[in-house]
Amino acid sequence: MLPILYVLLGLFRPTNENWQIVKQYLLTDYVLGSAKLVLFTGFFAALLGVVLAWLVVGYTFPLRRFFRWALVLPLAVPPYIAAYTYSTMTSYTGFIQSTLRNQFDIKLPPGTIEIMSSKGAIFIMTLFLFPYVFMLTRTFLERQSASYIENARLLGRSRLSLFIKVVLPLSRPAIISGVMLVVFEVFSDYGVASYFGMQTVSTAIFQTWFGMYDVDSAIRLAAWLLIVIIGLFVIERFLRRNRQFNATTSQSRPLKPQQMKGIAAWGATAFCSIIFLLAFIVPLTQIIVWTTWTYHKIWRADFIDLMVNSLSGAAIATAVIMIIALLSARTARMLSSSLAYGVSRLMTAGYAIPGAIVAIGVLAVFIALDQRLSTVYEWLGKGEGALVLSLSLSMLITGYIIRFMATGYNAIESGYEKLPRVYTEASRTLGRGNTKSFFKVELPLLKGAVITGFILTIVEIMKELPLTLLLRPFNFDTLATRTYQYAIDERIYDAALPSLLLIGISLISVLLIVRLEKEK
Amino acid sequence: MQQRRNYVFLMLTFVLVMALIAGCGAGNNNNGGANKSANGTKTTGEATAEEPETKTGGEVNIYTARHYDVDADLYAKFTEQTGIKVNVVEGKAPELIEKIKREGTSTPADLFITVDGGILNTAKTAELLQPVVSEVIDAQVPAELRDKDSHWIGLSTRARVIVYAKDRVNPSELSTYEDLATDKWKGKLMVRSSTNLYNLSLLASLISINGEKEAEAWAAGIAANLARDPEGGDRDQAKAIVAGTGDVAIMNTYYVGNLAASDVEEERKVAEQIGVFFPNQQTTGTHINISGAALIKHSKNKENAIKLIEYLTAPEAQSIISKTNFEFPVNKAAELPELLKSWGEFKSQGIDFAAYGELNPKAVEIVNKVGWK
Amino acid sequence: MNFVAIKHVTFRYARRQPPVIDDFSCTLNKGEVVGILGASGSGKSSLLRLVAGLELPEKGSIMIDGMMMVNDGLYVDVENRGVGMVFQDYALFPHLNVVENIAFGLHKLKRAARKERVQEMLELVQLTDYAKRYPHELSGGQQQRVALARALAPKPSILLMDEPFSSLDASLKTSIRSELRQILRKAEMTCLLVSHDAADIEAICDRSIRIQKEMAEATA
Repeated sequence: MLPILYVLLGLFRPTNENWQIVKQYLLTDYVLGSAKLVLFTGFFAALLGVVLAWLVVGYTFPLRRFFRWALVLPLAVPPYIAAYTYSTMTSYTGFIQSTLRNQFDIKLPPGTIEIMSSKGAIFIMTLFLFPYVFMLTRTFLERQSASYIENARLLGRSRLSLFIKVVLPLSRPAIISGVMLVVFEVFSDYGVASYFGMQTVSTAIFQTWFGMYDVDSAIRLAAWLLIVIIGLFVIERFLRRNRQFNATTSQSRPLKPQQMKGIAAWGATAFCSIIFLLAFIVPLTQIIVWTTWTYHKIWRADFIDLMVNSLSGAAIATAVIMIIALLSARTARMLSSSLAYGVSRLMTAGYAIPGAIVAIGVLAVFIALDQRLSTVYEWLGKGEGALVLSLSLSMLITGYIIRFMATGYNAIESGYEKLPRVYTEASRTLGRGNTKSFFKVELPLLKGAVITGFILTIVEIMKELPLTLLLRPFNFDTLATRTYQYAIDERIYDAALPSLLLIGISLISVLLIVRLEKEK
Repeated sequence: MQQRRNYVFLMLTFVLVMALIAGCGAGNNNNGGANKSANGTKTTGEATAEEPETKTGGEVNIYTARHYDVDADLYAKFTEQTGIKVNVVEGKAPELIEKIKREGTSTPADLFITVDGGILNTAKTAELLQPVVSEVIDAQVPAELRDKDSHWIGLSTRARVIVYAKDRVNPSELSTYEDLATDKWKGKLMVRSSTNLYNLSLLASLISINGEKEAEAWAAGIAANLARDPEGGDRDQAKAIVAGTGDVAIMNTYYVGNLAASDVEEERKVAEQIGVFFPNQQTTGTHINISGAALIKHSKNKENAIKLIEYLTAPEAQSIISKTNFEFPVNKAAELPELLKSWGEFKSQGIDFAAYGELNPKAVEIVNKVGWK
Repeated sequence: MNFVAIKHVTFRYARRQPPVIDDFSCTLNKGEVVGILGASGSGKSSLLRLVAGLELPEKGSIMIDGMMMVNDGLYVDVENRGVGMVFQDYALFPHLNVVENIAFGLHKLKRAARKERVQEMLELVQLTDYAKRYPHELSGGQQQRVALARALAPKPSILLMDEPFSSLDASLKTSIRSELRQILRKAEMTCLLVSHDAADIEAICDRSIRIQKEMAEATA
């Protein structure tokens, strides 16, 4: 948490003249740009996520079981890779235009397909981020909603009003957790925004840093962003104050989907298919095709190392995140005080700050720590003024933990919200202590939430780029950094292989966990 | 009381987790140490009995913002020849500078390698560097492609040129950067976003040559002439020319080379349909930018670092860089690939690269003011 | 001697709210089944939670089986009180089957003893045939019996029941009431039972206490 406080402290450092320039030229446009992006993406992602989740949970239609897990897969594709892929695909030399030109002699007027625009950015972000909402809402609806929804059905509600009057308000905590993740992601995104030339707070931060070499002003901007995020939390908490949908009953059983027939059923299948194609199959196929073009040139023996690095770093960090998330969510629940809430929020706020800024915070703290420990190091014979911690992998892992606490924590928190306290109480009246109750009762019941949190987090970390770039030790490359290495140089085709491997590994972890979930 | 217990529980677990992290850090560290000693530090301890090869070993640590496969290949060859292990962290230049600053005297970095003279100068003015003293290098790299105090040494250059549609534009219509800002090219010009350093350094060089006022008018003219809002990278401008969005674009030679050598047929077609024009040949010269290696002030492997620079600026490495990456070599003895030869000799601006860094803030201010996105 | 003594207990949920229970006292003898009657919101559930140790009283003391459980300076944790509780909607652990649910509180016993005790309890509540079922596969009445068996298995000194019949349909109520009464007698349990329905209390309890919102008044 120290690194986040470090960023916040940026507000109290004296301003310099660059800050005036930033305020004068950048702030309004960039804040508006961010707001627009966040609003639209958040709205569309929520809409898409909830509608799809409800379709998959509430009704039967062809391929429903397949879509139930398949619609999570777009998460395996990092938005920045999706952005490169889509824009190259639709560019003049891309597959679509060149096919039209060469096969059919149709020349599209320039600007017909304009993916590199704010609309394009919203399109990309929505398609590749909606699974957050989908996943959390789906799990919630499947496990917790049966009695309410069956009741509503019995009361003769129509499909639409059932959805609006019952499903939406009921799944609100899950939707909000999902949308929060989307919003964070959009706020902190730099890859898509900078590639598409969007003006957002995040690009402003980097423009101040890279353009003016003014790290202090960049940190100050990030601190403001952080304040806005915390403000969002407070508002959300305030709105929800009197509406704790803490499950009142311990009687939960799975919801039985309703039969959907004929056109409606095929319509549902078609809708899911379109989304699935656009958000997964199309970019994946394109990347596979590109990989076959450049495979011979790009493959290097160290790709195995890259994979191991990507996986192991992410796995360690995710494990720690899940442990901390479980403990702190539990503590926050038991204390149910505003202080505990505040602390837990600050912990998750790292997700909304651009990775590079978190990285600066981590770097500052670790170097300070190393200086503190220098006498110990000397005593250990490492020499004077040695940097030990800040040259080790632990710095990167800590960075991951700080930045991605939110994905793990939100999943656990919404899991706890669904878990009636009475189970823990029952366990304790049966003579099991606090800790035992946690392991014997809460943990097994939270399994779904833990698994969800784990996938989200590990996939997130593997996709992570700016933190990895800045905090990694020597010679530590991951698939994401290799992808970046090519993509930054506009060698999109060459970036296909590492992208593909990255998506592949994410995909396998998602599938593996879907499998585990099924077996249970 | 129950609450206090929970706090204790929480504190305990945090301590535990911290210990865990520290432990895994230490674990990795030990590994790192073990690896290192396998490669280098074995010279102390039992090394007397070891083969002599390890004696010439040691290591050199690089922070680099260059991200080309060819660099990694050259480092590997260097290690093969000298036994010196090359450790690399890649990143974005400003971030790496920040990292070196914060690491202070303890920094493990020996060399900082990046593209753009402005950044190299920023590192220098931040007092992160020290002079490279080597006669070999002085002989291999001409003085104008080195820092005047030899704090950094050029590795390669690229020119920022005008690219035009061969079927629509006659090269005789083209003349200078300044000409691109006139009404003649209204709605026909394309260039990537002004946030890109290549553009900022170009603008900085024009400030240095023509003065701030004229440079601002120039930037305003460029912004007004754009055929579309800036989007994509340099290659995307070339594609947009062929697609017919605009007729001329400002672009780096290095990307033209990469397009021409692309694995993708459609991209090679694009390269065939565009022409390259070196502007300002009759006047102030074409804008070039430089990749360089800078020696870190608190370097712990200074000799190895200098050896590496000597290696990278030698004709062999220079030819490889130029051939695979289509950059211009700094060493005149290096061999050029066909494409670069076909462009012939050209006159460059010949101003001090430090100006790119010094005038960068001004350039940022100007592009924001004139609304060049 | 009184087996359970609750003295001058005051409790409120939040500092600024009026107390839910204000200066309440009562006593239970060993083996006695006492019903607490009151409208919803009168604080009767809170009273059970105080006895169980799930809530902390603002004032007052609670003593069970000669041991002080809570007073001004002392607080015995829930798990160390030896209190059994049947929750309003039973709170059966959904991830455990009937046997595992019943065995949950028997962690201190050896395996063989545990098995025996579970068997005993299954017989007591007549659910031997349902041993491997999961809670959602049971009817409401069966779930209640599992909850009862689970609470009784560790041989608690007192059994607390929160609205034990609220989730059952009326037709079942009569038979289950008498069943419950028999089980409690058989186990010689001291029991504190909360209900809003006077008929429940009459059918099962030896005596009843009426609790009201403002001030609790005890009737013999």
